[in-house]
Amino acid sequence: MIAAIRPHAWDVPLFLHVLGAMVLVGAVLAVVVLALAAWRQPTLAVLARSSFWTLLVAAVPAYVVMRGAGQWIYSKEGFSGSNDPTWLGIGFLAGDLGLLLLLVTTGAAFWWMRSGKAIAGRLVAGLSCVYLALLTVAWLAMSGKWS
Amino acid sequence: MFHITGAFLFIGGSVTAAVLNTLALRAALPSETALHLRLIRWTLPLIGIGMALTLVLGLWLVHTDHYSYGSFWVIAAVVLWVVSSALGGLGGRHQEKARKLAERLAAAGDASSDELRTLLRDPKGNAMSWVAGLAAVLILVDMIWKPGA
Repeated sequence: MIAAIRPHAWDVPLFLHVLGAMVLVGAVLAVVVLALAAWRQPTLAVLARSSFWTLLVAAVPAYVVMRGAGQWIYSKEGFSGSNDPTWLGIGFLAGDLGLLLLLVTTGAAFWWMRSGKAIAGRLVAGLSCVYLALLTVAWLAMSGKWS
Repeated sequence: MFHITGAFLFIGGSVTAAVLNTLALRAALPSETALHLRLIRWTLPLIGIGMALTLVLGLWLVHTDHYSYGSFWVIAAVVLWVVSSALGGLGGRHQEKARKLAERLAAAGDASSDELRTLLRDPKGNAMSWVAGLAAVLILVDMIWKPGA
Protein backbone atom coordinates (compact mmCIF):
# COMPACT_ATOMS: atom_id res chain seq x y z
CA MET A 1 0.00 0.00 0.00
CA ILE A 2 3.10 2.20 0.00
CA ALA A 3 2.06 4.06 -3.11
CA ALA A 4 -1.16 3.06 -4.77
CA ILE A 5 -1.38 5.78 -7.44
CA ARG A 6 1.85 6.38 -9.36
CA PRO A 7 3.52 5.38 -12.65
CA HIS A 8 5.62 2.19 -12.65
CA ALA A 9 8.66 4.23 -13.75
CA TRP A 10 8.91 5.46 -10.13
CA ASP A 11 9.06 1.96 -8.65
CA VAL A 12 12.84 1.53 -8.57
CA PRO A 13 13.69 4.91 -6.99
CA LEU A 14 10.78 4.54 -4.54
CA PHE A 15 11.97 1.07 -3.53
CA LEU A 16 15.55 2.28 -3.02
CA HIS A 17 14.39 5.38 -1.12
CA VAL A 18 12.15 3.40 1.26
CA LEU A 19 14.65 0.54 1.72
CA GLY A 20 17.48 3.02 2.37
CA ALA A 21 15.32 4.85 4.92
CA MET A 22 14.38 1.60 6.70
CA VAL A 23 18.00 0.42 6.88
CA LEU A 24 19.02 3.89 8.11
CA VAL A 25 16.37 3.77 10.86
CA GLY A 26 17.53 0.26 11.85
CA ALA A 27 21.21 1.25 11.94
CA VAL A 28 20.52 4.40 13.99
CA LEU A 29 18.31 2.38 16.35
CA ALA A 30 21.20 -0.08 16.81
CA VAL A 31 23.45 2.85 17.80
CA VAL A 32 20.77 4.13 20.22
CA VAL A 33 20.61 0.66 21.84
CA LEU A 34 24.43 0.34 22.03
CA ALA A 35 24.94 3.87 23.40
CA LEU A 36 22.14 3.56 25.97
CA ALA A 37 23.54 0.20 27.09
CA ALA A 38 26.85 1.97 27.66
CA TRP A 39 25.24 4.66 29.84
CA ARG A 40 25.82 2.60 33.00
CA GLN A 41 28.97 0.87 31.71
CA PRO A 42 30.83 3.69 29.94
CA THR A 43 34.18 1.91 30.15
CA LEU A 44 33.08 -0.96 27.88
CA ALA A 45 35.20 -0.26 24.81
CA VAL A 46 33.33 -2.78 22.68
CA LEU A 47 30.16 -0.67 22.73
CA ALA A 48 32.04 2.40 21.45
CA ARG A 49 33.67 0.34 18.71
CA SER A 50 30.35 -1.25 17.71
CA SER A 51 28.61 2.15 17.59
CA PHE A 52 31.26 3.73 15.39
CA TRP A 53 31.42 0.84 12.91
CA THR A 54 27.61 0.59 12.74
CA LEU A 55 27.42 4.27 11.81
CA LEU A 56 30.22 4.02 9.27
CA VAL A 57 29.36 0.70 7.60
CA ALA A 58 25.54 0.67 7.84
CA ALA A 59 24.08 4.13 8.55
CA VAL A 60 26.18 6.28 6.18
CA PRO A 61 25.72 4.01 3.09
CA ALA A 62 21.99 3.70 3.88
CA TYR A 63 21.78 7.51 4.07
CA VAL A 64 23.43 7.82 0.64
CA VAL A 65 20.94 5.34 -0.92
CA MET A 66 17.93 6.99 0.79
CA ARG A 67 18.93 10.55 -0.13
CA GLY A 68 20.10 9.73 -3.67
CA ALA A 69 16.95 7.77 -4.52
CA GLY A 70 14.85 10.52 -2.92
CA GLN A 71 16.40 13.10 -5.25
CA TRP A 72 15.86 10.72 -8.21
CA ILE A 73 12.14 10.35 -7.50
CA TYR A 74 11.86 14.12 -6.80
CA SER A 75 13.13 14.84 -10.33
CA LYS A 76 10.68 12.29 -11.81
CA GLU A 77 7.68 13.78 -9.99
CA GLY A 78 8.33 17.19 -11.54
CA PHE A 79 8.47 19.31 -8.39
CA SER A 80 10.08 22.70 -8.96
CA GLY A 81 11.06 23.82 -5.47
CA SER A 82 8.36 26.48 -5.25
CA ASN A 83 5.05 25.58 -3.58
CA ASP A 84 6.26 22.07 -2.81
CA PRO A 85 4.02 20.27 -0.29
CA THR A 86 4.82 20.41 3.45
CA TRP A 87 5.65 16.69 3.70
CA LEU A 88 8.34 17.16 1.06
CA GLY A 89 9.84 20.09 2.97
CA ILE A 90 9.94 17.95 6.12
CA GLY A 91 11.63 15.20 4.11
CA PHE A 92 14.31 17.59 2.84
CA LEU A 93 14.81 19.00 6.34
CA ALA A 94 15.26 15.50 7.77
CA GLY A 95 17.61 14.68 4.89
CA ASP A 96 19.85 17.75 5.06
CA LEU A 97 19.78 18.41 8.81
CA GLY A 98 19.99 14.64 9.24
CA LEU A 99 23.24 14.49 7.27
CA LEU A 100 24.78 17.02 9.64
CA LEU A 101 23.51 15.04 12.66
CA LEU A 102 24.75 11.76 11.18
CA LEU A 103 28.24 13.14 10.54
CA VAL A 104 28.48 14.78 13.98
CA THR A 105 27.26 11.53 15.63
CA THR A 106 29.83 9.50 13.66
CA GLY A 107 32.55 11.96 14.72
CA ALA A 108 31.43 11.71 18.37
CA ALA A 109 31.44 7.90 18.13
CA PHE A 110 35.00 8.03 16.77
CA TRP A 111 36.00 10.27 19.70
CA TRP A 112 34.28 7.83 22.11
CA MET A 113 36.10 4.86 20.54
CA ARG A 114 39.50 6.58 20.71
CA SER A 115 39.18 8.24 24.14
CA GLY A 116 36.88 5.87 26.00
CA LYS A 117 35.38 8.93 27.76
CA ALA A 118 31.88 8.51 29.22
CA ILE A 119 30.85 11.99 28.06
CA ALA A 120 31.52 10.99 24.44
CA GLY A 121 29.30 7.92 24.82
CA ARG A 122 26.52 10.04 26.30
CA LEU A 123 26.88 12.52 23.46
CA VAL A 124 26.46 9.65 20.96
CA ALA A 125 23.37 8.45 22.87
CA GLY A 126 21.81 11.94 22.82
CA LEU A 127 22.59 12.69 19.19
CA SER A 128 21.42 9.29 17.94
CA CYS A 129 18.13 9.66 19.88
CA VAL A 130 17.55 13.10 18.31
CA TYR A 131 18.34 11.72 14.85
CA LEU A 132 15.99 8.77 15.34
CA ALA A 133 13.22 11.18 16.40
CA LEU A 134 13.86 13.30 13.29
CA LEU A 135 13.69 10.20 11.06
CA THR A 136 10.41 9.17 12.73
CA VAL A 137 8.84 12.58 12.04
CA ALA A 138 10.06 12.34 8.42
CA TRP A 139 8.57 8.90 7.78
CA LEU A 140 5.26 9.91 9.41
CA ALA A 141 5.12 13.13 7.37
CA MET A 142 6.05 11.50 4.08
CA SER A 143 3.85 8.41 4.42
CA GLY A 144 0.91 10.46 5.71
CA LYS A 145 1.51 13.14 3.04
CA TRP A 146 1.15 15.96 5.60
CA SER A 147 0.10 19.10 3.82
CA MET B 1 0.53 6.07 7.54
CA PHE B 2 0.31 3.53 10.40
CA HIS B 3 0.73 0.62 7.97
CA ILE B 4 4.01 2.16 6.82
CA THR B 5 4.95 2.90 10.43
CA GLY B 6 4.48 -0.83 11.05
CA ALA B 7 6.76 -1.59 8.09
CA PHE B 8 9.44 0.76 9.49
CA LEU B 9 9.24 -0.94 12.90
CA PHE B 10 9.29 -4.42 11.33
CA ILE B 11 12.14 -3.92 8.84
CA GLY B 12 14.01 -1.28 10.89
CA GLY B 13 13.87 -3.51 13.98
CA SER B 14 15.03 -6.50 11.91
CA VAL B 15 17.99 -4.44 10.61
CA THR B 16 18.89 -3.52 14.21
CA ALA B 17 18.76 -7.20 15.22
CA ALA B 18 20.90 -8.13 12.18
CA VAL B 19 23.48 -5.44 13.05
CA LEU B 20 23.71 -6.63 16.68
CA ASN B 21 23.91 -10.28 15.55
CA THR B 22 26.74 -9.45 13.13
CA LEU B 23 28.59 -7.56 15.89
CA ALA B 24 28.13 -10.60 18.18
CA LEU B 25 29.63 -12.89 15.53
CA ARG B 26 32.67 -10.60 15.18
CA ALA B 27 33.23 -10.09 18.93
CA ALA B 28 36.53 -11.34 20.35
CA LEU B 29 35.36 -12.39 23.82
CA PRO B 30 32.34 -14.47 24.93
CA SER B 31 31.28 -11.59 27.25
CA GLU B 32 31.12 -9.26 24.22
CA THR B 33 29.18 -11.84 22.19
CA ALA B 34 26.72 -12.28 25.07
CA LEU B 35 26.32 -8.50 25.48
CA HIS B 36 25.42 -7.95 21.80
CA LEU B 37 23.04 -10.93 21.69
CA ARG B 38 21.36 -9.72 24.90
CA LEU B 39 20.73 -6.31 23.33
CA ILE B 40 18.75 -7.94 20.48
CA ARG B 41 15.94 -8.47 23.00
CA TRP B 42 15.36 -4.69 23.07
CA THR B 43 14.29 -4.85 19.43
CA LEU B 44 11.79 -7.71 19.75
CA PRO B 45 8.78 -5.63 20.94
CA LEU B 46 9.29 -3.22 18.02
CA ILE B 47 9.48 -6.07 15.50
CA GLY B 48 6.38 -7.70 17.01
CA ILE B 49 4.33 -4.48 16.96
CA GLY B 50 5.53 -3.76 13.41
CA MET B 51 4.58 -7.22 12.16
CA ALA B 52 1.11 -6.99 13.73
CA LEU B 53 0.50 -3.49 12.29
CA THR B 54 1.64 -4.45 8.78
CA LEU B 55 -0.60 -7.52 8.63
CA VAL B 56 -3.76 -6.15 10.25
CA LEU B 57 -3.71 -2.72 8.59
CA GLY B 58 -2.50 -4.20 5.31
CA LEU B 59 -5.46 -6.57 5.10
CA TRP B 60 -7.79 -3.72 6.08
CA LEU B 61 -6.34 -1.52 3.30
CA VAL B 62 -6.85 -4.33 0.74
CA HIS B 63 -10.54 -4.18 1.67
CA THR B 64 -10.93 -0.37 1.76
CA ASP B 65 -8.98 0.15 -1.51
CA HIS B 66 -11.09 -2.54 -3.25
CA TYR B 67 -8.28 -4.94 -4.11
CA SER B 68 -9.03 -8.66 -4.25
CA TYR B 69 -7.82 -10.89 -1.42
CA GLY B 70 -7.14 -13.48 -4.15
CA SER B 71 -4.65 -11.23 -6.00
CA PHE B 72 -1.18 -12.72 -6.39
CA TRP B 73 0.56 -9.82 -4.61
CA VAL B 74 -1.75 -10.05 -1.57
CA ILE B 75 -1.27 -13.83 -1.23
CA ALA B 76 2.50 -13.45 -1.78
CA ALA B 77 2.70 -10.78 0.93
CA VAL B 78 0.89 -13.00 3.46
CA VAL B 79 3.06 -16.05 2.59
CA LEU B 80 6.26 -13.97 2.89
CA TRP B 81 5.03 -12.53 6.20
CA VAL B 82 4.50 -16.06 7.57
CA VAL B 83 7.93 -17.21 6.28
CA SER B 84 9.66 -14.18 7.80
CA SER B 85 7.85 -14.62 11.11
CA ALA B 86 8.54 -18.37 11.38
CA LEU B 87 12.19 -18.24 10.33
CA GLY B 88 12.84 -15.13 12.42
CA GLY B 89 11.51 -17.00 15.47
CA LEU B 90 13.69 -20.06 14.74
CA GLY B 91 16.75 -17.87 14.13
CA GLY B 92 16.05 -16.12 17.44
CA ARG B 93 16.07 -19.46 19.28
CA HIS B 94 19.47 -20.23 17.77
CA GLN B 95 20.77 -16.84 18.98
CA GLU B 96 19.38 -17.48 22.47
CA LYS B 97 21.26 -20.79 22.60
CA ALA B 98 24.48 -19.00 21.58
CA ARG B 99 23.87 -16.24 24.14
CA LYS B 100 23.42 -18.71 27.01
CA LEU B 101 26.62 -20.53 26.10
CA ALA B 102 28.51 -17.22 25.73
CA GLU B 103 27.29 -16.10 29.17
CA ARG B 104 28.44 -19.38 30.75
CA LEU B 105 31.88 -19.00 29.15
CA ALA B 106 32.07 -15.33 30.20
CA ALA B 107 31.39 -16.31 33.81
CA ALA B 108 34.06 -19.02 33.66
CA GLY B 109 37.05 -16.91 32.65
CA ASP B 110 35.85 -15.29 29.42
CA ALA B 111 37.77 -17.62 27.11
CA SER B 112 36.13 -18.64 23.85
CA SER B 113 35.56 -22.28 22.96
CA ASP B 114 35.19 -24.34 19.80
CA GLU B 115 31.59 -25.06 20.79
CA LEU B 116 30.72 -21.33 20.84
CA ARG B 117 32.58 -20.65 17.58
CA THR B 118 30.76 -23.57 15.90
CA LEU B 119 27.41 -22.39 17.23
CA LEU B 120 27.98 -18.79 16.10
CA ARG B 121 29.06 -19.86 12.62
CA ASP B 122 26.40 -22.56 12.19
CA PRO B 123 25.21 -22.02 8.58
CA LYS B 124 21.72 -23.42 9.25
CA GLY B 125 21.11 -21.22 12.30
CA ASN B 126 22.37 -18.07 10.60
CA ALA B 127 20.58 -18.85 7.33
CA MET B 128 17.20 -18.83 9.11
CA SER B 129 17.73 -15.24 10.29
CA TRP B 130 19.04 -14.02 6.94
CA VAL B 131 16.23 -15.69 4.95
CA ALA B 132 13.72 -14.13 7.38
CA GLY B 133 15.26 -10.72 6.58
CA LEU B 134 15.24 -11.45 2.84
CA ALA B 135 11.52 -12.34 3.07
CA ALA B 136 10.88 -8.97 4.75
CA VAL B 137 12.65 -7.13 1.91
CA LEU B 138 10.67 -9.18 -0.64
CA ILE B 139 7.45 -8.00 1.06
CA LEU B 140 8.60 -4.42 0.38
CA VAL B 141 9.30 -5.32 -3.28
CA ASP B 142 5.84 -6.92 -3.48
CA MET B 143 4.15 -3.85 -1.96
CA ILE B 144 5.78 -1.49 -4.46
CA TRP B 145 5.46 -3.50 -7.69
CA LYS B 146 2.18 -5.25 -6.75
CA PRO B 147 2.49 -8.12 -9.29
CA GLY B 148 -0.92 -9.26 -10.52
CA ALA B 149 -2.79 -6.22 -9.17
